[in-house]
Amino acid sequence: MLNNFRARLISQLGRAQANSEIKWMNQFIVDSTGPGAKATANTLRLEDLLRRRVGGEPLQYILGTQPFGQLDLLVRPPTLIPRHETEEWSLKLAKATTPCPSAPITILDLGTGTGCIPLLFATIWPQGSVHAHAVDISEHAVRLSTENALRAGVSTRNTDAKEARNTFTAFRADYTQDKFWEDPRLKPPYNLVTSNPPYIPLQEYEELPPSVRLYEDKQALYGGKDGLDFYRSIGRVLGFPGALASEATIALEVGHDQASQVAEIVERIPRIDIGSLEIWKDAWGKDRTVVARTHEP
Amino acid sequence: MFSLGRRAHFAFRLVRHASLSSRESKYLTGTHTGPELVKMLETDNSKILKLVRRKVDERTALMAEAEQIAINGDPSSQEYRDKTRRASELLVFQDAWSSYESAKSNLLETHTLLSHPDPDMRDLATEEYPSLPPTLTSLLLTTFPSLLVPPSSSSQHNLAGALMDLKSGVGGQESSLFLSELLRMYTRFAGSKSVDEETGEVIKAKWGVTIVQQNDADAGGIKDAIVEIKGKGAYDLMRWESGVHRVQRVPATDSAGRVHTSTVAVIVLPMLEESDKVEDELFKMDDVKIEVMRARGAGGQHVNKTESAVRLTHTPTGITVSMQDERSQHQNRRRAFQVLRARLLDLKLSADIASRRATRRSLVKGADRSEKIRTYNWAQDRITDHRVPGLTVRGLEGVMEGDGRVGGGFGGLVGRVEEWGREVEVEECLGEMMEALDKEEGQGEVGK
Ligand SMILES: C[S@@+](CC[C@H](N)C(=O)[O-])C[C@H]1O[C@@H](n2cnc3c(N)ncnc32)[C@H](O)[C@@H]1O
Repeated sequence: MLNNFRARLISQLGRAQANSEIKWMNQFIVDSTGPGAKATANTLRLEDLLRRRVGGEPLQYILGTQPFGQLDLLVRPPTLIPRHETEEWSLKLAKATTPCPSAPITILDLGTGTGCIPLLFATIWPQGSVHAHAVDISEHAVRLSTENALRAGVSTRNTDAKEARNTFTAFRADYTQDKFWEDPRLKPPYNLVTSNPPYIPLQEYEELPPSVRLYEDKQALYGGKDGLDFYRSIGRVLGFPGALASEATIALEVGHDQASQVAEIVERIPRIDIGSLEIWKDAWGKDRTVVARTHEP
Repeated sequence: MFSLGRRAHFAFRLVRHASLSSRESKYLTGTHTGPELVKMLETDNSKILKLVRRKVDERTALMAEAEQIAINGDPSSQEYRDKTRRASELLVFQDAWSSYESAKSNLLETHTLLSHPDPDMRDLATEEYPSLPPTLTSLLLTTFPSLLVPPSSSSQHNLAGALMDLKSGVGGQESSLFLSELLRMYTRFAGSKSVDEETGEVIKAKWGVTIVQQNDADAGGIKDAIVEIKGKGAYDLMRWESGVHRVQRVPATDSAGRVHTSTVAVIVLPMLEESDKVEDELFKMDDVKIEVMRARGAGGQHVNKTESAVRLTHTPTGITVSMQDERSQHQNRRRAFQVLRARLLDLKLSADIASRRATRRSLVKGADRSEKIRTYNWAQDRITDHRVPGLTVRGLEGVMEGDGRVGGGFGGLVGRVEEWGREVEVEECLGEMMEALDKEEGQGEVGK
């Protein structure tokens, strides 16, 4: 049976990738069955892991974690698995920004999922230099991202910006609602707004590979008929008076062919003055991130 | 005059440099008197003495100049700082020279006391005397040369350790199996704790070991691997593993019981301290092409495959590095840059050595990586190192398994290679220095 699964995995992924995945599964078994661990070699068998994998389950859900920069994040269905592309632009943004404890900044992450984006910042930047608010419509995501904050040693106390450590607070909220800003847990104005909103259009959603469509939350992926619904919502959210600090950065991940349309939406946000707008490519050469900086009007 | 502690110290040195004593033994055996010994030593080794003397004189001159600046000039100037820094670098020569001078007068004085009218004095001198010639000889023939020739070029760089790159060579599956055994030998040696035989104390692992990359062969064994050995001195020792390792044995798979010969090629690269800035004096970021493996279609939310493999190409040298062992692309990238940096530094060091060697007559054997450096013969239960004359050790398993004794197992073997290599290095460089000295003095005479 084991060899049959192995052969099927090779035919699905190619030899090199299949071998790597088997190696990671074996490593996972070794790590989780050591002395004092709950699992044993009998309850956690390579054969079972392989069966799930060959059946289309994402490797990350099987192993329960995904590395993201220096972080090792917990991942659990149906919350979206952080992607390499997101890791790449988040690291780039983290390097391009240098907050310090004497001038801490506030972040709003719209649709935080595992919490990957703000948690990366909170672990790279010096202590006391960032306070992040992360919202998500999914209760699963709120819980998972809070667990991830604790796992990464980031404080989850929601204080006013006087805390000496970096903080991350996640709560349920729907940013497509008009009364979004009435939520008292939000503390505008924000210096940095990040989002990787659901951006897959209807047609493409139906053609997604099963490991994405059957295992990850539709609510995390589907962006309406043209895939741009959530960018329009974000435009409305950020156009609200006092949402952004006078000098703020907006970073939005976009689908492979959406950069120019999203850039247009951002440029038309009422009441803010875009000083610069960049489109960053990902490692595969696709336009991946729209980064806008405002300056005082 | 000499405390026991000091004597014990020199005795220890002589044991450690057992192979050097071939040169030293010429002076330590035979029946020459103290004054005869001093005369012999100083005539035979006048050039070493001259070279050390020059360093001492250079230091004295620097100190005088620095003092002049301190009195008449600006002690906060760069010139002053340069002179005092250089002078303090040369202090070791001053110290060694003083030790040598005092050992010499000690020997000569004690020699005269051997025929002192007072029997008590004579007894004291007789007791003291035997330790003195070895001290003097070792200072002149071991301490001076090692000061004149500082250890390998690598020590000029701030090395964090070594990256060992192992590739299977001829012999197919056997070669892959042997590679996994070599890898195990290295990781056990560098990463496992050992026990001091005399004190019974547990000695903590020598270095940190991480397998950075490993490609298993389908039929068992390992096709290639990169292992990181992190820690001070790791490169200076492990670099002696560079070269082709040959194994001779009957593979389990050969039913006819024939002996096969297979090889594994090892390259040991110097690893720099990891720095935050990716770019440094070794390369320009513009010269590095970063590729991710395979087309990913739309990418982003559309795909959740773990495609973390990364390939770097350094265009000026054509060096490529692929890394796919980690699930994180970020980690693979970091690792790939680490390996690239090590390859480039290695290239630089080899170029430095080659340019120095162009003027040299002899070569350190085995510096050429395509050369066979060692044979592991199972039937005869021996390992022979082809660089060091007469170096064959019995008990192959003990070496490969690492037998936990200090100075035993693989550590003992590579230690002997290192000692030999260091000696060759010292001798070669010393030879060059002496030649230069001759030329200079020759010119001086012509000039007169
Ligand atoms: C593509 S996922 C991104 C998750 C995470 N930021 C990342 O990059 O991996 C989009 C996230 O937005 C959340 N979301 C969808 N609609 C939302 C809404 N109306 N309000 C708040 N969050 C929403 C989803 O639950 C999901 O976690």
